[in-house]
Amino acid sequence: MNPDMFFLLASVLFSIGLVGIISRRNLFIVYISIELMLSSINLILATLSKLSNDPAGSVMALIIIAVIAAEAALFLAIIIHLNRLKRSIDSDDFKELAQKGDS
Amino acid sequence: MLETSIFIILSLFMLGGSIAIITNKQTVFSVFGFLIVMIGFGGMFALLDNRFLALAQIMVSVGAVVVLSMLAVLSVNAQEKNLPNEPYKYRWIVFSSILVLPFTYLIYKTLSSLAKEFTTNGFTSKDIGSELFNSWVLPFEIVSILLLTAMIGAIVIARKDNS
Repeated sequence: MNPDMFFLLASVLFSIGLVGIISRRNLFIVYISIELMLSSINLILATLSKLSNDPAGSVMALIIIAVIAAEAALFLAIIIHLNRLKRSIDSDDFKELAQKGDS
Repeated sequence: MLETSIFIILSLFMLGGSIAIITNKQTVFSVFGFLIVMIGFGGMFALLDNRFLALAQIMVSVGAVVVLSMLAVLSVNAQEKNLPNEPYKYRWIVFSSILVLPFTYLIYKTLSSLAKEFTTNGFTSKDIGSELFNSWVLPFEIVSILLLTAMIGAIVIARKDNS
């Protein structure tokens, strides 16, 4: 058990979340990827907290867990609202704010 | 030795779950991958001897967030033909993985240069509690307001508009 393994796992999971956000168009998968990135930050914070023997890192991770819960509620409500508007969960269908002729 | 093997098994589960998240077409299978990854995070916190965070992760992330996501996916109930048409999905995934790879290496190198060994004995949940209610009271209160606003906002956004 050394901290390198935890750091490697957390950075790989963060990057997988980033890849999911970049490459997929399903809104649910974008949401799950954001959650994955936030949770891997949590893992890094917990590892650093154990490394430096300081409970502040764990407190930060706890607050991030609460933020994840709030973000989940809002994001899912927005997805349900968008699906009710257009019957679609494709992020390419929601580009009213793009410039005209840009589509 | 036992800890290392548990770590390897858990991390294989988590990597498989996260790859399942970004490659599946059906959203329900992605949410099952998400469930596996979140339980794996709980196990990782337990391996780090951080019981409080492991418990919070299992209760909040697995018990609330994943269940809420699954309910939302099931209530949206997207048919196969309503899902986004992504013919070049794997090409995009491979391409963006190559783009992101140097960034991963950068994060890993930066973090692993900090220390090589766990030297300290760690702390208990009691220390986390006293830290939370001594130095972190203001963020704690702000988070409670944030949760309240998120709850009200989610109700207002997802409500059926009758007008």
